[in-house]
Amino acid sequence: MTEPGASQPGTLAPIGQGHPVELLTPEEIFKKYAPRVYNLARRMLSHEADAEDVTQDVFVQVLRHLHTFRGEAAFTTWLYRVTVNAALNFRRRRAARTAQRLAEPLEDFAANGQHRGPVRRWAAGPEQLALDREAHQWIDAAIAQLPDMYRDVYLLADVEELPNAYIAELLGLSVAAVKSRLHRARLLMRNLLAPYFEERVA
Amino acid sequence: MITCRDLVALLMEFVSGQLPPKRRDPVEQHLSRCSLCLAYLESYRTLVEVSRCLPPAPLPERLEQRLQTILRENGQRQETDRRGTDPLGSPAQ
Repeated sequence: MTEPGASQPGTLAPIGQGHPVELLTPEEIFKKYAPRVYNLARRMLSHEADAEDVTQDVFVQVLRHLHTFRGEAAFTTWLYRVTVNAALNFRRRRAARTAQRLAEPLEDFAANGQHRGPVRRWAAGPEQLALDREAHQWIDAAIAQLPDMYRDVYLLADVEELPNAYIAELLGLSVAAVKSRLHRARLLMRNLLAPYFEERVA
Repeated sequence: MITCRDLVALLMEFVSGQLPPKRRDPVEQHLSRCSLCLAYLESYRTLVEVSRCLPPAPLPERLEQRLQTILRENGQRQETDRRGTDPLGSPAQ
């Protein structure tokens, strides 16, 4: 028998475990998923008010469709799609912002292919940075500076840890394009954060 | 011998272990000699790992209230529907 929720997200591979999401009350769903939806929208849009509107729109849809899902995997797969689509729609509606030109990371090399400037080690490792609230603010600020096409892929791949094939479906890209944008996004992020995270020179 | 630029272009595949040995060996050889690329690689790995642990910001109070309102209205609507379809229930108000 086909589960009613299974057909909802199309042919996507399920994400997460198959917990019975239908047994949760709307209040529990809201408590568990609203921060996830809000933070993805906030980081995609770099705009508090728009992120709040996206979260509200998504939860109106959640309440409408909740009874159709069987299992958390089908639900979260659907939830990501609805959130990403709502955020992309808000971005399209918003007046185009002045495009930012970030330094191209692959231009940081001399003609002979060597690093043009010094590359210093970062003072802290991931375990320390993971607990450092100031570091989180710098990372969020760097995410906000990424051009949209790189920011979306970086957030879905590295922050949300979604599979490349699913990101390709969400954003209407080829898997090769997702990989190439992710690579570029990481280099841009590394360069944006290096001034804050590199060891200080004595 | 690959250049620093070549190495950086291969970082994503190298870090995820997707480079076949034929392409991985030159990267490892380069890293054993180039402290700048080694520092670059370490910072790249740190970025990828810390991105996974980025904590969510709490919901703004204003949004929390908006969502609570939606939930309350949804609960009331369901209650009305339930009463409307239950022959023994009290009539919807």
